[in-house]
Amino acid sequence: MRRPSALAAAALLAALALGAPAARAQPSDLAVKAAFLPKFAGYVGWPGGGGGPRAPLVLCVIGGDPFGRMIDEAVRGQQVDGRPIAVRRLAGTEGAESCQLAFVQGANPRATQQMLAALRGRPILTVTDSRAGPARGMIFFVVEGGRVRFHIDQVQAQQSGLTLNARLLAIALSVRTAR
Amino acid sequence: MRPLTRLADRWPNVPIAGGLLAVLLLVAGLLVIFQSAANYVALKRQQTEVQAQILAASVTAALDFGDVATAEEAVRAFGANREVSAAGVYDSRGRRFAGFVRKARPLPDRIEGITRSGGNVLDATAPVVRGGARIGTVYLQVEREPLSRRAARYSVIGLLAVMAALVVLVLGVAHTALRRANRELEARASDLGLAYGELQVQVEERAKAEEQLRQAQKMQALGQLTGGIAHDFNNLLTVIQGSADILKRPGLEEAKRIRFAEAIVQTAARAAALTGQLLAFARRQPLKPQVLDINARILGMTELLDRTLGERIGIVTRLSPGLCRVKVDPAQLEAALLNIAVNARDAMPDGGTLTLSTGEAPPLEDGRAAIAVAVADTGTGIDPEVLQRVFEPFFTTKSVGKGTGLGLSQVYGFAAQTGGEVKVASTPGEGTVVTMILPCSDAPPEEEAAPAAASAARRRGRILVVDDNEDVGALAEALCAELGHSVVRARSAEEALDLSASGRFDAVFTDVVMPGMSGIELAERLRERAPGLPVVLTTGFSDRLAEGGAGGLPVLYKPYRADALAEALEAVLAPQRPEEG
Repeated sequence: MRRPSALAAAALLAALALGAPAARAQPSDLAVKAAFLPKFAGYVGWPGGGGGPRAPLVLCVIGGDPFGRMIDEAVRGQQVDGRPIAVRRLAGTEGAESCQLAFVQGANPRATQQMLAALRGRPILTVTDSRAGPARGMIFFVVEGGRVRFHIDQVQAQQSGLTLNARLLAIALSVRTAR
Repeated sequence: MRPLTRLADRWPNVPIAGGLLAVLLLVAGLLVIFQSAANYVALKRQQTEVQAQILAASVTAALDFGDVATAEEAVRAFGANREVSAAGVYDSRGRRFAGFVRKARPLPDRIEGITRSGGNVLDATAPVVRGGARIGTVYLQVEREPLSRRAARYSVIGLLAVMAALVVLVLGVAHTALRRANRELEARASDLGLAYGELQVQVEERAKAEEQLRQAQKMQALGQLTGGIAHDFNNLLTVIQGSADILKRPGLEEAKRIRFAEAIVQTAARAAALTGQLLAFARRQPLKPQVLDINARILGMTELLDRTLGERIGIVTRLSPGLCRVKVDPAQLEAALLNIAVNARDAMPDGGTLTLSTGEAPPLEDGRAAIAVAVADTGTGIDPEVLQRVFEPFFTTKSVGKGTGLGLSQVYGFAAQTGGEVKVASTPGEGTVVTMILPCSDAPPEEEAAPAAASAARRRGRILVVDDNEDVGALAEALCAELGHSVVRARSAEEALDLSASGRFDAVFTDVVMPGMSGIELAERLRERAPGLPVVLTTGFSDRLAEGGAGGLPVLYKPYRADALAEALEAVLAPQRPEEG
């Protein structure tokens, strides 16, 4: 338990030393994903602001938690428009109303799909990982060319009343739109 | 060499103001150009900063998520603009994340390595911000000014300089041309001045020549005059001298003595008439003008004219009634008419008609009304060249002995002295018309002075005779003594004054023209000293008498006869008698 924790911390550090070419101090894909998650908050607009103006933005990890402490490290010191980011871990979709962002990963792809369906229509930015199955949230991590990239489902986001910043769309591998 | 010096001559001629203006234009143009360049750079700087901000915005997510490829893509998109020479994206720690360089010098790896370069580039940095937090920095470097634009600016400056030089050149050329034109004009003006001067000289020479000609003509006329006088007087003097010589012979018969004495008297009378005509021409004859009716005078003369002209010439008078009166000397008028008539007779050797007519004439130049007296004949007429000279004294076409050449001269002198004029019109073969224009007179007609009644008992008195001429003075003294007066002679007015102070006289008989004091002045002095003393003046001719009159004093004109002297003295002595008696 300790070893992976120390490893994760090192990986996180490496990831935070952003833009560092992959060749150097290769952080794990997982650490990169953990670093990415709080950053998405800067590119999302929630209906009604997503909680109070001073309230922390809540990043929920629903289902299994692949990140462990890496996620806690990632959110530390991160602020979006002056709002800190808090991490909550939930076993299921119950109590997810307080979340603004949610990394969803069930025990199997089917479970993941069900949880996504349960969150559908709610103002929560859902994120899934291709390593856990094909179920796609609004953001879907993949690893391509040795780098962590993501697809964006603009349709789901719009159905949930979220707006995604065009700058984010610009760096996505693909963007699914209504057309 | 020559063109060079000419150029050097011309340069100072370019007006300073023109050159200054050109320089001012050049400076103003340069100022505008540099100002525009400065504005361009400021605008460019602003644009660069905006572009940096745009680049920062476009690479925010790429930088945030470590997407180098996207960031490079965005940076290269800026590189499509040829003016952008370098662009770089640095992360929050100042390390280069992505970059683009057009030129050889690479971008530094760290943001701190960037030196804000001057020269021909402009650069700007902009923060990359996500969610209010700075996550990196963007650096953008652009060319300050494209080469083409700079070349255009320099060419505009060059053009401006060339134009300024052209302006100066054109001004200089125009000025030189103007000066040349000016010089030519001045040269022409001076030529004109010279020509005018020459003309002036010619005019003066011509005037001088004309004056000389006039002088020559005058001298010729004078010679003619003096020759004529000498000729006539010599004839008369021959008669007088010869008669006197005969009279001096002892034992001359009484009949012969009377005949030669009479010859002397008659010849002297003709000589007096001759000088009278000369004086008339000279307009210095003493006039005794009277206001008279011209028609009556002419009618009174017809019998005389009839006898003078002979039987072969008929006389016709056409006199306009109701003419104004004229103030003329009746004797002179008659002489003038007679002179014209005699000429007319000579022009009609085979007989003809003499027409005397009167009528109103156009007013004279001074505005006075006038009448015309015309004498026309049907004679041979006068040639035009002769017509010009008819008034010249002693000019005559008649043979020697038939005419003196003074007839028309007398007419001319009479008319002029009366204030009128005389004209002669003639057509050869048809006749001649001589017209006298005489001014009208408003004065009432005068009775002709009754001839002084010859007094049987002549009065005697003590007479002071004053004359500077020894012969005339001696004659006057002798005549006065012959008339029974006691006589004292003085040879000047001053002497007369002394004598009058010392002795008592009944009358003074004085010449007018004398050296020193004149007879008229003497009369005035005597009037102050002895108001009652009568003075009789005598003169051959006198400007002062003819013009100013004798001041009421009686005048005896030379040559005078013994009878005339006796009458004049009698007239002044007579009124004193009652006072004395």
